Amino acid sequence: MTPVKIGMMSFAHMHAFSYAAALKNLDCIEFVGIADDDSKRAAKVAKDLGVKAFAEYEDLLNTDVQGIIVCSENINHRRHVVVAAQHEKHVMCEKPLATTNEDADAMIEVCKRANVKLLTAFPCRYHPAFVQLKHTVDSGELGKLLAVKGTNQGQCPGGWFVDKSLSGGGAIIDHTVHVVDLMRCMTGAEPVRVYAEIDNRMFGKDYDDTGVLTVEFSNGMYSTVDASWSRPKSYATWGNVKMDVVGTDGIAEMDMFSQVIEAFYDKTMSYKYEYWGDDADSELVAAFARSIAEDTPPEVTGEDGAKALAVALAAYESAKTGKPVSLV
Amino acid sequence: MQRVAVIGAGTMGRTHASIYASLPNAEVVAICDLRLEAAQEIAETHSARAFANLEEALNEVEIDLVDICTPTPTHLDHIKTAAAAGKNISCEKPLARTISQAMEVQRICEEAGVTLFAAHVVRWFPEYRRLKAIIDSGAIGETVMVRTMRGGMLHGGVGNWFTNLQMSGGAVLDLIIHDFDWLRWCYGRIRRVYAKGLYAAQIPGKDHTLVTLRFDSGVIAHIEGNWARPDKFCTSVEVAGTEGLLSFSSTDSMPLVIKHRSSDGTTSTTSVPDFVATRTPYHLELEHYINCLEQGITPDVTAEDGVEAIRICEAALKSISTGEPITLV
Repeated sequence: MTPVKIGMMSFAHMHAFSYAAALKNLDCIEFVGIADDDSKRAAKVAKDLGVKAFAEYEDLLNTDVQGIIVCSENINHRRHVVVAAQHEKHVMCEKPLATTNEDADAMIEVCKRANVKLLTAFPCRYHPAFVQLKHTVDSGELGKLLAVKGTNQGQCPGGWFVDKSLSGGGAIIDHTVHVVDLMRCMTGAEPVRVYAEIDNRMFGKDYDDTGVLTVEFSNGMYSTVDASWSRPKSYATWGNVKMDVVGTDGIAEMDMFSQVIEAFYDKTMSYKYEYWGDDADSELVAAFARSIAEDTPPEVTGEDGAKALAVALAAYESAKTGKPVSLV
Repeated sequence: MQRVAVIGAGTMGRTHASIYASLPNAEVVAICDLRLEAAQEIAETHSARAFANLEEALNEVEIDLVDICTPTPTHLDHIKTAAAAGKNISCEKPLARTISQAMEVQRICEEAGVTLFAAHVVRWFPEYRRLKAIIDSGAIGETVMVRTMRGGMLHGGVGNWFTNLQMSGGAVLDLIIHDFDWLRWCYGRIRRVYAKGLYAAQIPGKDHTLVTLRFDSGVIAHIEGNWARPDKFCTSVEVAGTEGLLSFSSTDSMPLVIKHRSSDGTTSTTSVPDFVATRTPYHLELEHYINCLEQGITPDVTAEDGVEAIRICEAALKSISTGEPITLV
């Protein structure tokens, strides 16, 4: 099989580095090169990975590259996805897909018209813990699903993530979408109503850093999502993705990143979790390449990204008004 | 010396009776239960007398303290009877089935001049005391977000009254009232309550709820009550502060685990003691109350605490049934 030619636009989001490693390592992919607004960052990445850095996005897009991974700041996703689609390149866009529902819808529409695939980067769908959880749920082993308690708690990433003019929001827009996407994927049901308590008391700045969403689904199930940047600087790892699922016939507890070695380092007087589990980012990138090679519909679509984003935006509205927000 | 009548010869009544019997300044003088044989069995152990009801016990024996360990809906009548007789009272949580009943018992006891102790035993669980001590020390800065979980299999109790959610109030009123009380103790007044749960769905043998609380101080709390678990009772707490994080899980804190292999070697069973402590929290709780009564001082948990915990529960149940956030005034 001819390798699929893939390139990357922007390394603003740190996930770009793990996608880049996957592009390097996967035999099914030819890593065409990268382009970045930040030329210094581009030069460093190109050197570290041994790939070509294009001076301009246009230069990368004018090659015969087939697919583009966009990892820019949230606010720039629309611009970068649209330009890639206009060059008839398939696109995988980092989450959250956009910062407004209008932007997300426009991105989906542009890609549809250009006849290119649009994927939202939800790698957690590819983690074997979730794959097996979904299999368990689908088999009916847990009976009818009643409730899910989810968390995606993390350390504050800082940088542009806390600059709302670039991120579109704080912890809630950053951390809601993964777990909501897993809930949608697991159940096939859609979020219908959202309530949220959100605050900025962790850092006391102009961005939200803490929040709990309550999300009701079309199958009658209720859920909560803790999307806080509530892991302290001294924490043993970056954060977590967890879901406790309650069914009529049983429960399931998923702690996606619990495959760790506990490490105690005297040199830094620190305690760390060293993760040894599967690399879901690599599986996601492979799925992107597969969908291009086989010309099959993407498994995680732009619509999936838009639906998860809508929940995060509804949470902001709920926190502002103090009332639950309907999504239908 | 406090002469104690224990009402209710179920699991909690049995536990409390043994503790009173072991305290130097208390003695069990009466055990009351409609099921007289059950009362007799416990009474015999402690050389106490057994009665079918509290009125008889009050007529027959000298009593200082009435300890109510009966199903929730009966608390109101027992408290009325004990208060009318001028006896101090300890009552299992929840103090009453509804907020109006709870306010009524508080008023009755105030008017009768008797002490009403709301037995919120979690305040004497060493892990919860230690968590509060660390929080209060400021070691993790200001608390921003707290998450608690409490759950296990739903056991029926005498006549299966726990599984009758109308009687017990389900996981909200019977289970996470503990967390509400502990959180109030740590963070003060609660402003807003939003909750989802299975209370209204009435799924036999199960209840589950997820509650979000907002405190006047700004603290956000997320509380899970889970009577849909198929396994042993467990709890967890996580406190995220501006300068650190506290995390506790009962399943990760087991200093003694015993595993048996079946005789054919194909299956195994695991057993874990309920408490690995020289004194159980129930012991510490009752010891505290008895000492308070002996010395004439106000106990650490008051009737008002019991009432306020029920106010939060009722708001959560109302939120579950209406789908709306409930603001407490």
